[in-house]
Amino acid sequence: MYSVELDNIVKRFGNVAAVDNVSLKIRENEFFSLLGPSGCGKTTTLRIIAGLEEPDSGVVRLHGQDVTDVPTHKRNIGMVFQHLALFPHMNVFENVAFGLKMRKVPKNEIKDRVKAILEVVDLSGMEARRINQLSGGQQQRVALARALVTEPSVLLLDEPLGALDLKIRQHMMVELKNIQRRVGTTFIYVTHDQTEAMTMSDRIAIMKDGRLQQVGTPTEVYFKPMSAFVASFIGEAINLIRGRIQDGILTTQDLGQPILVNHGENSSEAYLAVRPEIISIDNELEGLDNILDGIVRDVIFKGSYIEYRVEVGPRVFVVHQHSRALMQRNFTVGERVKIGWRRNEGAIIPSSGV
Amino acid sequence: MKKTNLFLMIFTVFVFIFLYAPMVIMVIFSFNEAKSLGVFTAFSLKWYEKIFTNTEVWVALYNSVWVGAVVTAVSIVLGMMMALAVTRFSFVGKPILDALILIPIIIPEITEALSLLVMYVFLNIPLGPLTVIIGHAAFDVAFVTVVLRARMAGYDRTVEEAARTLGANELQTFFRITLPVMYPAILAAGLLAFTLSFDDLIKTLFTTGPGFKTLPLIVWSSAARGGVSPDLNALSTFAISISLLFAVFRIRAEKKMRGV
Ligand SMILES: Nc1ncnc2c1ncn2[C@@H]1O[C@H](COP(=O)(O)OP(=O)(O)OP(=O)(O)O)[C@@H](O)[C@H]1O
Ligand SMILES: [Mg+2]
Repeated sequence: MYSVELDNIVKRFGNVAAVDNVSLKIRENEFFSLLGPSGCGKTTTLRIIAGLEEPDSGVVRLHGQDVTDVPTHKRNIGMVFQHLALFPHMNVFENVAFGLKMRKVPKNEIKDRVKAILEVVDLSGMEARRINQLSGGQQQRVALARALVTEPSVLLLDEPLGALDLKIRQHMMVELKNIQRRVGTTFIYVTHDQTEAMTMSDRIAIMKDGRLQQVGTPTEVYFKPMSAFVASFIGEAINLIRGRIQDGILTTQDLGQPILVNHGENSSEAYLAVRPEIISIDNELEGLDNILDGIVRDVIFKGSYIEYRVEVGPRVFVVHQHSRALMQRNFTVGERVKIGWRRNEGAIIPSSGV
Repeated sequence: MKKTNLFLMIFTVFVFIFLYAPMVIMVIFSFNEAKSLGVFTAFSLKWYEKIFTNTEVWVALYNSVWVGAVVTAVSIVLGMMMALAVTRFSFVGKPILDALILIPIIIPEITEALSLLVMYVFLNIPLGPLTVIIGHAAFDVAFVTVVLRARMAGYDRTVEEAARTLGANELQTFFRITLPVMYPAILAAGLLAFTLSFDDLIKTLFTTGPGFKTLPLIVWSSAARGGVSPDLNALSTFAISISLLFAVFRIRAEKKMRGV
């Protein structure tokens, strides 16, 4: 059984289709991320799952049950809001206890459960603090504890780390994933930050203009993008080569030579997507399916890796090489080099994703 | 730089003298032994004794307080609903309604008073406490709405949504979240409504019935009867003190409201 299922959800605001025919199946105990640029409909999708927004059409199921017409407070979900929405007139204990009170849990049990969850989020002893006496990271964890203490069947998180600075954010990413493992609940995590999504998620759904682009594990969406949008949205850089495929060979006007690809179908228009770290660079290369001659145009030292920009005909390839290679050899601007990769290491974006 | 500061300070002092001199003189002479307003002869509390032993004053105070309380309650409930309506829902004619709320605040009080009287006569409603209350409330609602509306405009409604996701239904959300978060604003608006009602003379004068008098009304009628007199000074000082007290409460509530 799935934790959350969306069937053909559509939601319009005036002329804008905020969510355009989205279908998703999210598994039990999965850390699932909705990733996409600003305004692509992530929040709206999350709010539809929470029942805070009513879809124009489509079905929402929680644990197999149709909840499309069930009001929010009866859905047994938890939600962490982007701006946290902690109750300003209550202290930490009262904030966290609120959901249990609404469920008429006995007083003693409330105390125990609040104490236990505050331990999980590492806030023990903070019960009596007022909200404005907490740091951003602490407020974050109160919001998390408040949403988790009722043991919701699914936890919805809307860019919960957006307001934090980088250091705390990185720390919280690890924390969130640990907490998710400990409590064993489905997390649906909305973000426009691919690092967050890649770091924590079991699977990622990438959205654009209200539509789902691709759903897959972080490595799948990274190495096997199914559309040009996903290819360039995910990761730092990618080499996209447009051309036609005939019998496992991609021909393109840019490059004077045919490129070998692993793709059975013929296609008049497709992209080959090659990540920069897949490509080897050297003065001489052997044993690779595709080898091109080029000239180094740029060398950028980025710490753990070096970025080379290599001109091949009218094209520029981005190549990343591990910094360790610097110990042996580095290439200078203007130097003639060969770059190459194996045919099975590039991904073909089918014509539907062009 | 220095010169302008000095100039501003002198200017400010003058404004304060201009504002408060009449009141200060009145308060001082309410403690004057002699009946005359010309010279201060000796300190005395005899005028206060005179008014506090006068049952008419106590009845008027009682009337002012309970009318004020009822007016406050009515204005808060209606003002809250009004503010909720204009900040949360969109409906036909909302901008017009939004602007209409301000009209009682900007038109002259005498016009309000007269229009009330005309309506009561037209509808054949006997004048008395009820007509006074309706008169006060009808206009205080506007002030309450404006205060609450301002607070609600800056209020992040996601706390309500958070409560919903935690299992609270609409009613529980309203009473446990919306109301407590709005509480300082409601307090400020309530104190404002009370002060407005407590201080009101003109509307009360036009809409009250035989024998029903509030504190401002007996101040006015005794002034009209015998001109300024030391016991009138004492009575006014007393009335001012009460209003001042409420003003202090209100300012504190408003500070708290901004603090949240
Ligand atoms: N209440 C609303 N009324 C009108 N339009 C809305 C409303 N909520 C969202 N939209 C529109 O729907 C689209 C999707 O909005 P949504 O908030 O879901 O985006 P998002 O992916 O969460 O973006 P962000 O990363 O900026 O939060 C946007 O074009 C937005 O302007
Ligand atoms: Mg959003």
